[in-house]
Amino acid sequence: MTTTTHDFSGRTLLLTGAVGTIGREIAKRFLASGANCVVTDLDLDAVTSFARDLDPNLERVLPLKHDAGMPEDAERVAQAAKDRFGAIDFVVTSAGLYKDAMVETMTDAQWKQSLAVNLDGVFYTCRAAIPHLAEGGSIVNIASVAGHRGSFAHAHYAAAKGAVLTFSRSLAVELAPKIRVNAVSPGLIDGPMVQNLLQMTGTKLIEQTPLKRLGKPEEIASVIAFLCSSDASFITGASLHVNGGLYISS
Amino acid sequence: MSSHAGRVALVTGAGRGIGRAIADSHAAAGAAVAYLDHDRELAETAAREAVAKGWQAVGLSADVADYEAVVEACRKVTDAFGPVDILVNNAGISPKTGADGRRSPAWEMSPEEFRRVLDVNLTGAFNCARAVLPGMKAMGRGRIVNQSSVAGKTFCDIVGVHYAASKAALIGFTKHLAGEVGPFGITVNAVAPGRIDTPLMRGTASEANEAARMATPLRRLGSPEDVAATYLFLTSDSASFVTGQVVDVAGGWLMT
Ligand SMILES: NC(=O)c1ccc[n+]([C@@H]2O[C@H](COP(=O)([O-])OP(=O)(O)OC[C@H]3O[C@@H](n4cnc5c(N)ncnc54)[C@H](O)[C@@H]3O)[C@@H](O)[C@H]2O)c1
Ligand SMILES: NC(=O)c1ccc[n+]([C@@H]2O[C@H](COP(=O)([O-])OP(=O)(O)OC[C@H]3O[C@@H](n4cnc5c(N)ncnc54)[C@H](O)[C@@H]3O)[C@@H](O)[C@H]2O)c1
Repeated sequence: MTTTTHDFSGRTLLLTGAVGTIGREIAKRFLASGANCVVTDLDLDAVTSFARDLDPNLERVLPLKHDAGMPEDAERVAQAAKDRFGAIDFVVTSAGLYKDAMVETMTDAQWKQSLAVNLDGVFYTCRAAIPHLAEGGSIVNIASVAGHRGSFAHAHYAAAKGAVLTFSRSLAVELAPKIRVNAVSPGLIDGPMVQNLLQMTGTKLIEQTPLKRLGKPEEIASVIAFLCSSDASFITGASLHVNGGLYISS
Repeated sequence: MSSHAGRVALVTGAGRGIGRAIADSHAAAGAAVAYLDHDRELAETAAREAVAKGWQAVGLSADVADYEAVVEACRKVTDAFGPVDILVNNAGISPKTGADGRRSPAWEMSPEEFRRVLDVNLTGAFNCARAVLPGMKAMGRGRIVNQSSVAGKTFCDIVGVHYAASKAALIGFTKHLAGEVGPFGITVNAVAPGRIDTPLMRGTASEANEAARMATPLRRLGSPEDVAATYLFLTSDSASFVTGQVVDVAGGWLMT
């Protein structure tokens, strides 16, 4: 059996955090489904070389520098997407920052940096994209299991991700019926983001996961593709957990 | 599309409505599908029409509340197609026996009516899971998806207390079972539809359905195909790391 595939030809994805573990798989999947991809991340060289790997002549991929915490970057990126491909059909916010810090000793700067990337970035990116969104479009914000249940030594991250969930629901009501807005909450996905955590906790978290393994970044990308597709045309304001059963709630 | 080629699916309540759309979508995606319904006529017609489209299908009649009948039906599926990989617990009832075709209020509901709804909507799902799980365990893979409802998560004026209780219970059933069978490579999820245009829904007053439409951000009722597409996703490899979850297919209604 293979995953279901979708036809996104002629449609355009705006993706933040595109050179991250999950972001790369999202870009690959949408490109393979025929979409144009505007791939953005902090480091222009990294995102450009990733884009060239995907599409050597950069015909359907546009790499751009984008600091998620900067509103003017979001405006520039959304305008560039519109200028190059005509409109934006899908927005996926994958930029994220997961740093360890206990509340008692957390500095203002640490708190602000986490909120800037994980929450403000989602707001800036969505706000900038709205005027260019095509009818029938879809926004998927990546939250986290941390946004539902909290997270030891990551209160700033969990608070931001929880806010992303309620932001997404609110935006779903504002943009309905033309645009759908949903959130995806990954559990433990194999990549650099979880290495520290796994070093600290050993195999405990995998044992607690009913499917007894880490998720693969492709398994997040396939859920996001579903939510953007017409197969999910009656799904809006929802959040979908992809965690192998590690957190079973709501 | 053959995303489900080689898979065997058992769909309950597949004679009409959402169940029929789920069964059809799986058959069209290449699965061999058992259309099970209490109503023999509906099950056989649906399966015959599926076969006429070139799909692999068989129609079966059983009351999901009757464990022996379910076991017998599963044996027939296995004989025809091999062990069941995908179980869709969709069969459900929502009696409207009060005044003007509305729900019977709790203080007037007959204990028999309450028990029957639990027997079909909840025990029916257990019966089917009980029948297919040994086979799934032996194969080391399987997908179970249970039909809950937004009415199982929040107050919804249209349905009765038995229905809400049964749909909430299916969520507990889903979460617990996901934990138990995950180590065998089996995922268990639930879907919570909002207002979906089916014969069951048309049993309620049209004003109630219009009110639900206006409360739905997407400003329409769902179609059986809307719900079926989510089932096809949950039973495909696209959802291979999704388990223990409840997916709302409700157009933003209630956002439970
Ligand atoms: N990996 C997991 O287990 C996991 C679990 C839950 C949620 N998530 C979420 O999934 C998303 C993707 O995570 P990932 O695993 O790919 O992480 P990653 O660390 O591999 O990638 C994150 C990307 O975001 C980029 N980024 C960081 N700060 C940025 C900024 N200020 N502006 C723009 N981009 C910035 C990084 O450069 C990186 O490319 C994140 O939102 C993350 O919070 C991941
Ligand atoms: N229509 C909606 O708005 C809606 C909303 C949320 C949930 N649901 C759920 O979706 C499922 C399907 O609903 P529908 O609207 O398609 O209903 P429906 O009445 O149109 O179809 C249900 C089918 O199940 C069969 N069935 C009933 N009792 C059975 C039994 N004991 N054993 C075997 N088969 C039996 C019926 O014969 C019928 O063919 C139900 O579980 C329902 O509770 C429906």
